[in-house]
Amino acid sequence: MKKIFFFLFIIIFAVSSFVAAGYRELFEKEFLSKPWGSEIKIESACLECHTSDAMNIELQQIPQDWKASWHYQNDVSCHDCHGGDSEDATMAMSHKRSFTGKPDHKDVPEFCGKCHIGILKTYVESGHGKSHIVTGEGPTCVTCHGSHNIQKVNIDIINSQRCSQCHSYERAKIIKQALFLTDKKIVAIENDIKVLKTKGVYPEQEEKSLFDTQAKFRTLFHTIDVSVIRDKTDFFTKKLNVIQDNLKATFGELSFRKKYSTLVMLLFACSWIIIFLITRSRKD
Amino acid sequence: MWQKIRDGVNIRTGLSELIDNKLKGYRVPSDTNIFYTIGIVTMAAYIVLAITGYFLLMYYVPHSEHAFGSVQKIMTVIPFGWFVRMIHIVVANLMVALVFIHLVSIFFMGNYKKPRELTWLIGGLVLLTTLAFCLSGYLLPWNQRSYWATTIVTNIPTAFPVLGDFIANTLRGGETISEITLTRFFSLHVGFLPPVFLILVGLHMFLVWRIGLSVPPLSSSAKEEKPWTGYRPVSYSKSYPFYPNFLLKEVSMVMIFFVVTFFLITFMPMLFLPEAANMPADPLKTPPHIKPEWYFLAPYQMLKMIPNKFFGISIQLIAIVIFLFWPFIDSGEERNILKRPLILGVSLILLAAWFVLTVMGRYS
Repeated sequence: MKKIFFFLFIIIFAVSSFVAAGYRELFEKEFLSKPWGSEIKIESACLECHTSDAMNIELQQIPQDWKASWHYQNDVSCHDCHGGDSEDATMAMSHKRSFTGKPDHKDVPEFCGKCHIGILKTYVESGHGKSHIVTGEGPTCVTCHGSHNIQKVNIDIINSQRCSQCHSYERAKIIKQALFLTDKKIVAIENDIKVLKTKGVYPEQEEKSLFDTQAKFRTLFHTIDVSVIRDKTDFFTKKLNVIQDNLKATFGELSFRKKYSTLVMLLFACSWIIIFLITRSRKD
Repeated sequence: MWQKIRDGVNIRTGLSELIDNKLKGYRVPSDTNIFYTIGIVTMAAYIVLAITGYFLLMYYVPHSEHAFGSVQKIMTVIPFGWFVRMIHIVVANLMVALVFIHLVSIFFMGNYKKPRELTWLIGGLVLLTTLAFCLSGYLLPWNQRSYWATTIVTNIPTAFPVLGDFIANTLRGGETISEITLTRFFSLHVGFLPPVFLILVGLHMFLVWRIGLSVPPLSSSAKEEKPWTGYRPVSYSKSYPFYPNFLLKEVSMVMIFFVVTFFLITFMPMLFLPEAANMPADPLKTPPHIKPEWYFLAPYQMLKMIPNKFFGISIQLIAIVIFLFWPFIDSGEERNILKRPLILGVSLILLAAWFVLTVMGRYS
């Protein structure tokens, strides 16, 4: 009797399952695999238009470039630079929603400087900035960094190919040499932080401190003044040394942890051997 | 001096008599195997979790803005906080494995048969409680992995018609994982589940003690030939006292368990802590390749593969009901699984399927 009930129970369950086939289609298609967070980016009105076939090829390329960029990785979206309403297609390009569109070449420094305030200040005081202000055609942010496919900056952005577009590479090479050791240190610290994160430590303080130092150091790049760079590099090196020392101490702590838990493991192994011997002696 | 203390305690508590009658007098079949000690190792694991959990509770802040920071503080600032947390994490995962192994071994030895049906049922409930412990505890560090893995797991009930959304929203306290979810899971983890677990384990151990340990199916000391028409403790043809012989075996296994625990903490500390587990939870950024914990991978993968999710959920619910009430369904006398090729074959296939689904869930 109980077996009949059991099988009846299964049949009822199975039948009701099949009857409910197709229930909640959205759920079936998406719930286990959809990337919930990035969905917000996909819903952007800007991307919807710029990825549609109605847009010309050049403009269609923009979302792809942006998705490969450092801005994308840091959640800087279209409207953060160009304004407009990314959630409402009808207002996406409305000036009432602060839409600015593509800036003129002469306005590019101000355009990027809305966020990169420190760098704008340094740039304006630099040779690059001064020539741009005078002629309106000098090198701007996009000359070196590009516009949408903007990559995380490292020292290799200073290279003969890029600099020789406008002038000889000699001076840029000296600047690169002056920056080299400090930049190398920054890369080493970044790697150390990455390694620590894989070892269960989240060095928040050091990460923030590095971000701050790095941002100020990057500002220094934009002075394109060798003597200023040489003078100030020491200051950054000292700050980076402090971060590096803290990280070294954390690595030391991790090494201690390993030794400590090894010791505890051996203690338990010894305890097991002793108990095993007692058990055997009792049997004997 | 020692003798004086012993005598003093003995006069006041009758401890010697208690040991003689209840521990030395409690007999264990002579050919018990290693799997008979898994239960007590699981209990030891629970005690370790309770102690380490208590210490973590001293510094943990159950608030979405402070939870991640407080866990990081435990890992980096509080002296030996890392040690306590690592033990808690590793032992929690090992405990799930131990309960699984315990149940599988009991199944293959046929030790769930009459009169131990209730012992099995309560053991099954202990497994479900352990998984509830893991699910609720997993969210507490409020990191990227815990946030998104919990999002996936709490979405699973929504496949169930009518009640699905209600269950999911009750679990989460809303449409998404939020501060409310954290508070709910926290109170579940430290307030509700521990007493439930203790009651279940207490009942389980009471039944084991009351009925007696089952004899391995191929054992020569098996003497349970009489039908179970009324309660009686099991008797064995060959046996030895629980204390100290069997207890030493159990303590020995507990030591091996600790060696494994500290081996993992020393040489594979990140086994249960991938990189996303060290990043603060960000509801707007889904980390790539997010997966539930290893013990939920098989049901997760199964749901991914079955086109009708409600059917997938139904199969899993039926499986849980069958699993819990299996001794009442399989009520035949025969305990030796080698003489039951159908049950042996099906159970091996199910185990293999579980393993394959887990691997697929991990790498798909």
